[in-house]
Amino acid sequence: MQKEAHIHVVSKNLYTQDAQRKPCQFGVLDPKLGVCGANRTCETCFQDVNKCLGHFGYIDLQLPVFHIGFFRSIIVVLQTICKKCSRVMLQKDIKQEFQRSLCRPVLSYLQKKGLRKKIHEKAKKTTLCPSCGELNGAVLKCALLKIAHDKYRSQKRQSGPLTNINEAFHSAKQTMPDVGSLINSYTEILNPVRVLELFERIPTEDLPLLLIDESIVHPRDFLLSRILVPPICIRPTVQSDFRQGTNEDDLTIKLSEIIFLNDVIQRNRLNGVKMDKLVEEWDFLQLQCALYINSSISGIPAHMQPKKWIRSFAQRLKGKQGRFRGNLSGKRVDFSARTVISPDPNLRIDEVAVPIHVAKIMSYPEIVNKINLEFIRQLVRNGPDVHPGANFVIQKANEHKRFLKYGDRNEIAQKLRVGDIVERHLIDGDVVLFNRQPSLHRLSIMALFARVMPHRTFRFNECICSPFNADFDGDEMNLHLPQTEEAKAEALILMGTKSNLVTPRNGEMIIGATQDFLTGAYLLTQRDVFFDRSKACQLLVWILTNKDEYEKIRLPPPTIFKPCQLWTGKQLFNLVLKLNNNCKDVINLRAKGKAYCGKTEDLCPNDGFIIIRNSKLLLGCVDKSVLGANGKTNVFYMLLRDCSEAAAATAMARLARLTSYYLMNRGFSIGLIDVTPGEKLMTEKRDLVTEGYTKCSSYIRQKQEGKLQCQPGFSPEETLEALILKELSNVRELAGNLCLNELQRTSNSPLIMAISGSKGSFINISQMVACVGQQAISGSRIPNGFEDRSLPHFEKHSKIPAAKGFVENSFYSGLSPTEFFFHTMGGREGLVDTAVKTAETGYMQRRLVKCLEDLCCQYDMTIRTSTNDIVQFSYGGDSLDPIYLEGKDQPVDYDRIYNHVRSKYRYDSEMPLNGDEMKEYVNQQLVTNDYHFIKQEYKDQIVDFIQDVSFKVNQHREKFHLTNDDKDEEDERGRQISSKKKKRRLAAVLFEIERCTKSQLHQFLQLCKDKYARSILEPGTAVGALCAQSIGEPATQMTLKTFHFAGVASMNITLGVPRIKEIINAVRIPSTPLITASLIEEHDQDSARRVKGRVEKTFLGQISQYIDEVYLQDDCYLLIKLDLERIRLLKLEITAMSVIDAIVREKKFKKIKYNQLAFIDSATITLNVPDTLKTNLYYTIKRYKEILPKVVVKGISSVDRAVISVEEKEGHKYKLFVEGEGLRDVMGIMGVNGNKTTSNNTMEVYRCLGIEAARTTIINEIVYTMASHGIGLDIRHVMLLADLMTYKGEVLGMTRNGLAKMKESVLMLASFERTIDHLYDAAYHGQKDTISGVSECIIMGIPIRIGTGVFQLLYKHPNRGTITGRNLMFDNIDMHQPLITSTS
Amino acid sequence: MADILFEDIFEVKDMDPDGKKFVRVSRIFCESESFKMDLILDVNTQIYPMEFGDKFRLKICTTLREDGTPDNGEFNQDSGPNRADQFEYVMFGQVYRIEGDDTGVDTASRLSAYVSFGGLLMRLQGDANNLHGFKTDSNVYLLMKKLAF
Repeated sequence: MQKEAHIHVVSKNLYTQDAQRKPCQFGVLDPKLGVCGANRTCETCFQDVNKCLGHFGYIDLQLPVFHIGFFRSIIVVLQTICKKCSRVMLQKDIKQEFQRSLCRPVLSYLQKKGLRKKIHEKAKKTTLCPSCGELNGAVLKCALLKIAHDKYRSQKRQSGPLTNINEAFHSAKQTMPDVGSLINSYTEILNPVRVLELFERIPTEDLPLLLIDESIVHPRDFLLSRILVPPICIRPTVQSDFRQGTNEDDLTIKLSEIIFLNDVIQRNRLNGVKMDKLVEEWDFLQLQCALYINSSISGIPAHMQPKKWIRSFAQRLKGKQGRFRGNLSGKRVDFSARTVISPDPNLRIDEVAVPIHVAKIMSYPEIVNKINLEFIRQLVRNGPDVHPGANFVIQKANEHKRFLKYGDRNEIAQKLRVGDIVERHLIDGDVVLFNRQPSLHRLSIMALFARVMPHRTFRFNECICSPFNADFDGDEMNLHLPQTEEAKAEALILMGTKSNLVTPRNGEMIIGATQDFLTGAYLLTQRDVFFDRSKACQLLVWILTNKDEYEKIRLPPPTIFKPCQLWTGKQLFNLVLKLNNNCKDVINLRAKGKAYCGKTEDLCPNDGFIIIRNSKLLLGCVDKSVLGANGKTNVFYMLLRDCSEAAAATAMARLARLTSYYLMNRGFSIGLIDVTPGEKLMTEKRDLVTEGYTKCSSYIRQKQEGKLQCQPGFSPEETLEALILKELSNVRELAGNLCLNELQRTSNSPLIMAISGSKGSFINISQMVACVGQQAISGSRIPNGFEDRSLPHFEKHSKIPAAKGFVENSFYSGLSPTEFFFHTMGGREGLVDTAVKTAETGYMQRRLVKCLEDLCCQYDMTIRTSTNDIVQFSYGGDSLDPIYLEGKDQPVDYDRIYNHVRSKYRYDSEMPLNGDEMKEYVNQQLVTNDYHFIKQEYKDQIVDFIQDVSFKVNQHREKFHLTNDDKDEEDERGRQISSKKKKRRLAAVLFEIERCTKSQLHQFLQLCKDKYARSILEPGTAVGALCAQSIGEPATQMTLKTFHFAGVASMNITLGVPRIKEIINAVRIPSTPLITASLIEEHDQDSARRVKGRVEKTFLGQISQYIDEVYLQDDCYLLIKLDLERIRLLKLEITAMSVIDAIVREKKFKKIKYNQLAFIDSATITLNVPDTLKTNLYYTIKRYKEILPKVVVKGISSVDRAVISVEEKEGHKYKLFVEGEGLRDVMGIMGVNGNKTTSNNTMEVYRCLGIEAARTTIINEIVYTMASHGIGLDIRHVMLLADLMTYKGEVLGMTRNGLAKMKESVLMLASFERTIDHLYDAAYHGQKDTISGVSECIIMGIPIRIGTGVFQLLYKHPNRGTITGRNLMFDNIDMHQPLITSTS
Repeated sequence: MADILFEDIFEVKDMDPDGKKFVRVSRIFCESESFKMDLILDVNTQIYPMEFGDKFRLKICTTLREDGTPDNGEFNQDSGPNRADQFEYVMFGQVYRIEGDDTGVDTASRLSAYVSFGGLLMRLQGDANNLHGFKTDSNVYLLMKKLAF
């Protein structure tokens, strides 16, 4: 420290006391420590603020103090070593054993921590030091920053060693009476001086046993005898503008206080002051030194409490705004833009409109070259105030930056040379990064092309709202401009909107037509939309802007020639997909639209079945399901996968323009008339509601009379609730259906929007028109806010629909006051839920990302962490990238590709193959070299698929009696014009069905191969980050907290964010543990009942007629009478003997023996109570009588209840759902099929079935939770998460504890949570950080080793010579073409 | 003539059985007189009203040219005299699907041909012999003329 420092700081004053107020020499603000503020130079290095890094000073403390950060470590060391000889208190053999394991060449950080804990635990228990035989007691923290050693704790009061002390005490008491009160405490306070002395004496060979690396740190360093004074620049003085004097940093003040105390102690020691006074001062110095390092220590005595909270070192590092998270992991940038966003459907989907104002400030350093020289000159001439201009010029020669606002710009422009750098304005076509917070997934920041435009907002096509999750209600977004050509290129390829049309979450589209585009497209493609030539052409020219400006449009022949030429909307829509015949991109699609009536495919009267064949919309009104941003049966998805990114992007832009202009022309508006119910609807609805109400009241009456049949596992109240809820939701649904039938499909705007999927749902419409329905709070009806009622407007205990929040009115008819109030209650719950959820999911996302960020696919296709731990051998078991998976969890949707190939390529001249030929051809092809890289699994899939197809083909051929011979015959005779003319003709059309020729099959195989090849994961992919984002991002969208369990109505299980959190945190006791037990006899209800009886706990009280005390003259006992009839009815397997066993087992009784219990007959048992001295017989009997009814006589005590569920579909299969813990017990129950029994409790599965089972449970539970919220999530992501949680051999949660067990890097851990603890821990061990993970690299400013950073030179040649350019062999200067041809 | 795929006289048996879903287009269900073919056809009733019981002649051919030479599918605005002149209602569309009928029992050779006229659907169902010229992805013209009683 002394070496590092420049001055010894001694003066407690900050400034000289005279008028000049100069910093005091050798004070805390000595100018030798560096400078702060302009116009001054450092007195040590004589440089100015920008150059001088500052210099350290030091303070010598008069007495050593504990370092607050190492306080725990000091205690641990003290507990480990002998308090006399300072050796580690371990037996020799144990010591050697540990030393052996310590000698391992590579000890990971985690192993070190583990060993330290083990040694500590062993040594702590030792009371006699093995080396010197000294007595050692417990070392404990006492009071604040004091350590006590209770040496004689293990000794008996009056034993040998203590008598000496007692004597000493007694003699002391005579001189000093105060000591008397301390007589019975034999603890010794280990003060810092003593500790220091102990630590100094720790032999070198014992240091490794403390896991301390002597070359780096020594235990004596855990105490402070000298503290460093940091340079002034980290604790700057702030000149106050308003009043005299300066504001000093907290640290400066604290340091000067420490010096002051130091002085006091020094003076007092010299003068010889009373010991207790000195100790008090010492304590205070100790506290100040602790506060200097960490100001948030608890337990400070009141008189020492600092007056004001200070920002100490720990506080500077900690937390979101701290150094780690605020400055090291995330930094501020020069020049970024932020403003409000607004929509503009005229822009392509890869463009963003940037205001001129922004464009003039954001600049790009363009390097002048021969080609752009003239252009740049013009920019320079324009200067900073005219838009396509420039702000600065940096000349290559002198690196001088010139501002273009002033000076002669013409001259500067003329002087511009090749190689100069010009900071030009942002111009059209620049690549910018566009971002919206919260950036929950990688699509939240994308690269777009800038389009400089007037006005003040950023504008972009609505199609790209969804990846940003943006709307235009005042959202703001950020924009950055990459500053090099490389950055631009990389951004465009990796982050461009075109490359991000698909979300890595499940490979579905995230960018797609939205809102108005859907409405427009739906209306345009209605069956009865016709245009004459002028209107059709007018609509079409709207497509032509931007890049399409000079495209040709091929107008197809009109659909209707006569009586007048008319084009249909569908024909115009086709042109969006395929503008003219030059466009070779062709797609095929068959899908069910939203309006699909459910049967007759093509013939759907609503035109709801969509067929696109060779880019022609043949049938169906397009809606959200084929245009929107979801699903894989999507027009744009087909374009993207079968054609190109660009094709999809252009089509989307064209659609945006066409539909929005069509909508503008057609007009689309909403009015009261759209939501006004007709007379018929009103009466029908009224009838419905009355009917529902009567039913409800009949249920209520039944319940009051006690006649209500309880549902399994339900109390009467719950049954009633369930019945009423069901009835009321039924009412609402029927009312909804009524109004849907009533409304005009063709002219009702809300309905059109709902059908096309652009906005709103059928429920919304029926709420407006017919009936709002039941208001719910946390899944049940409105609870009672007042005494026994929800509102004082109702009778107490009222259960009628209206009293519990049923709103029978519609929004149109208006809500009654009570209804309105209930509605607001429901509304508020939604708001509160969203607010709570955002915070919760945000934190969850952060934890997920921290845990998963460094997982990456290596070149050997394994998934490893940054420390090269293998998490998965191949990603998701098959190394396929979820982005490119077209089918359901497989790379190719064979059916679709087969049909696509057949319609895209006709090969008219070829004859179709029959089934056997197809099989043969495919089998032949797949063994060729072309397909060698495809895994057998996928080859089998193809073969299986072809098998199915060929079966169909053969079936067809059989039906129409087409045989191979026929075909051959026909083939041969076709040319000769055979006499069997009829048969030949017949054949021609029949061959059209299931037609597949050899070349088509070849194309199909090629396509499958290509798609498979493309879907193989690329090495370097940051699969971990993708996984974290894919799980975290949809979690923010999850609504509602709980759901009803699908199988049995009576069981609620936690879902949504709380459940995900539970799984991810690896919570030990989940809120709704559930065991699903499958039965051996699945179809037998009786057996299911019996098993239920075995599982569910039964109390003695439930099955006994009575339990009575019997007092006789010579005896008294308890008589238990079992209710055999009841036992028989409930199919319980309980006998008097088993009851006796259960009573003996019960722990609440103190040791009841078998001989106390007597078996009278099959229904009667007596329990004799022993008459002992200790207890009163009467009270014992009373107590026993109280306990007895609660004795569990049958079943598993940890189980709350069990419910039998029936799967109606699969032929009355019975299953058992068991609430509670005890998977192992349930599995052991007779009649339960242990192989098929699972639990949703990860930790229990881990304990009971092992780590692999726990992994499967995690996967299943996450997938189930996500699926029940309708979130599609590729299983590979979940697998990765589950693998990471289990790869260490135990289930680790994604929490600070789990993370500390997973990661080695200190910087990474410190940047997550518990910053200070991790830093001190690392200091203790002298831990080195390899800087390999993502967090560390970001902190250090090194490229991360993920993605393009995975490959590195493995060998660094020591002699790195200069590279000399070599002339190209055939390069001849004379033959170079001039870059700019002179015009002369 | 190879370019005429089908010709017959139909009678409208039913109109919009599921209710009228579109304002300007109706779906008619017809049966032919000579070949006993079933026809489902969407007709723009705004410009060509159809009534229940109407009888009409229907012709499906691959070209409108009188001489039967195939056209290239390009649209020519004033193509001069052609077949359409003798008909009242002419549509242009594409055969997109030919399918065996597996509903009936003895329908061994019954086929259905589906044609889309820019979204207006036609399904012609009947004996395979009567549909011999149909080929998927080929362009066809539909010509209609009501018969006077």
